[in-house]
Amino acid sequence: MTRPLAPRGPARPAAHTTLQKLLSRFHFGITLFAVALSGVAILLAGITTLRSYADRNMELATRVGAYGAEPALVFNDPEAAREGLDPLRRIPGIARLRVIDHRGRPLYEWQSPKGDPSPVLTSLFFPQPFSTTIRRNGSVIGRIEIWGDSSTLIDYVRIGALAGLGCLLITALGTIILARRFEYELVKPLGEIATVAHDVRLHRRFDKRVQPLGIAELDRLGGDINALLDELQGWQGHMESERAVLAHRASHDMLTALPNRAAFDEQLAARIEDAARRDRRFALLFIDADNFKAANDNHGHAAGDAVLVALSARIKETLRNGDFAARIGGDEFVVIVDPLDQGPGAEAIAARIRQIAAQPVALPGGADYRLAISVGAAVYPDDGDDAARLLTAADTAMYADKLTNRSQKRQAET
Amino acid sequence: MFVSLLLVGSSLAAPQLAMEAASQTIVDDNAAGLSIGVNRIIGGIISYARWPADLPRAPRTMCVAGTPQLTDHIAPAVPGGKSIAVRRLSAPANGSGCDILFLGRMPAADRQRLIAWVRGRPVLTITDDDPGCSYGAMFCLRTRAPGVSFSVNLDAIGRGPLRIDPRVLKIGSDGDAS
Repeated sequence: MTRPLAPRGPARPAAHTTLQKLLSRFHFGITLFAVALSGVAILLAGITTLRSYADRNMELATRVGAYGAEPALVFNDPEAAREGLDPLRRIPGIARLRVIDHRGRPLYEWQSPKGDPSPVLTSLFFPQPFSTTIRRNGSVIGRIEIWGDSSTLIDYVRIGALAGLGCLLITALGTIILARRFEYELVKPLGEIATVAHDVRLHRRFDKRVQPLGIAELDRLGGDINALLDELQGWQGHMESERAVLAHRASHDMLTALPNRAAFDEQLAARIEDAARRDRRFALLFIDADNFKAANDNHGHAAGDAVLVALSARIKETLRNGDFAARIGGDEFVVIVDPLDQGPGAEAIAARIRQIAAQPVALPGGADYRLAISVGAAVYPDDGDDAARLLTAADTAMYADKLTNRSQKRQAET
Repeated sequence: MFVSLLLVGSSLAAPQLAMEAASQTIVDDNAAGLSIGVNRIIGGIISYARWPADLPRAPRTMCVAGTPQLTDHIAPAVPGGKSIAVRRLSAPANGSGCDILFLGRMPAADRQRLIAWVRGRPVLTITDDDPGCSYGAMFCLRTRAPGVSFSVNLDAIGRGPLRIDPRVLKIGSDGDAS
């Protein structure tokens, strides 16, 4: 029983991630990647272009420098060189200038006072100085050398990085807004489905249905859930009717369809409670077939059953609204006449039942059968104020009636 | 040949170049150095001067009038090796046949006559005896330690049909101002 718990461990934190977070992360990742990629591409393209411009700029500068420095070389005049190269010293991106005469001696040299912000970049982009030979009437009189610096490049990279950062910020914001929107579009319908499922599970609201959601996949899911709910609702209805049948069977007699003993006990207790509260009276009649055993013995069980069904039907006929009849034993029936205060009294009803039961019953065999019954009545609260006393009183009265009937019959036979 | 030897010699003996702001040609501190410097400046000025197109092209003739003060050996060193024929001016009042006129020390009347003759003609005038550059020559050479410098008389240049490269005018004007 020592199962490894390993598979549960990593599964737990995943359960805490919401769809919203997942989508946000996904969106942000993709956008970050795209922005970084395009940013780097633009930066590289920009640096390449800038470099070619810088090269041309430097070439132009050497030409300007050659033109400006030419008379200075002719006259061997450093001051003239300084003045001739003055425009170049004001151009950003030039780190160093040098004019050499035809014998290789430097005539003029200048170094930018600003200093190189990044010697590594400079050596990467301008490994060699730009130089051009200066000629006068076809003969070489000297050369000029110009070293570039990376300040313009660094400015570009700095501005590029700043712009990239700005772009990233804007994109991040846009991503968040887009992700929110997407989440709303996706999470809301999912939430609706979840709400329906939750309602069905918790409140047994099988009539709830998922509304059309506008997204094909989710609509299919919703449709499936609705179909499942249809089935569930069908099962639920079926189960409820089945349960009703079972409940009826539990409380009713199968043969006569009258309530059985258990239902009667429940009913009697309820009626006593009700009558006590309202201060009313009701009667309990105890009915017993006198010669039922003879019918069973002489004509078979089918005949006995027919007699019982006929008797219960007749008892039912005599009942008023609110009265209650039950079969509590083989040939024993009870009737609750409630309320008793208006209409005929208990004895009158007992007499009517006795009279109606005496009508001949058509047996399945074709013969007629005359049933005799004994009826005993007890009245709440006169004869007893609880179920047991009332039943005993009614039973006693029934026996008394049965004895009277036998003696009458014996007298009639003699 | 002699000039080139001198040039080699001067290059060997050249002092280290100072980065001072001085609008002047740096020369060796001796007679040979000064001579080289002067001829170099004269050659440079000639190379930046443009004669009218209808004149026959080089070689140009340089006439020396009077006594040169800075060097007694006038042989302009023109970059590019174009040779200049140098001769002394025989008649002090007439410069015909000269493209370049070098005015050394001479009587003021002769000088005035020559300047007047040059007016309107395509002749380049250079002097080494006029530190203020006010007597009417176009370019005036003078010594200024540690070398030789020149100044420009813009009025004189403006009067003549010769064209001078503005870069040279600028150097000469700056030298004048400093």
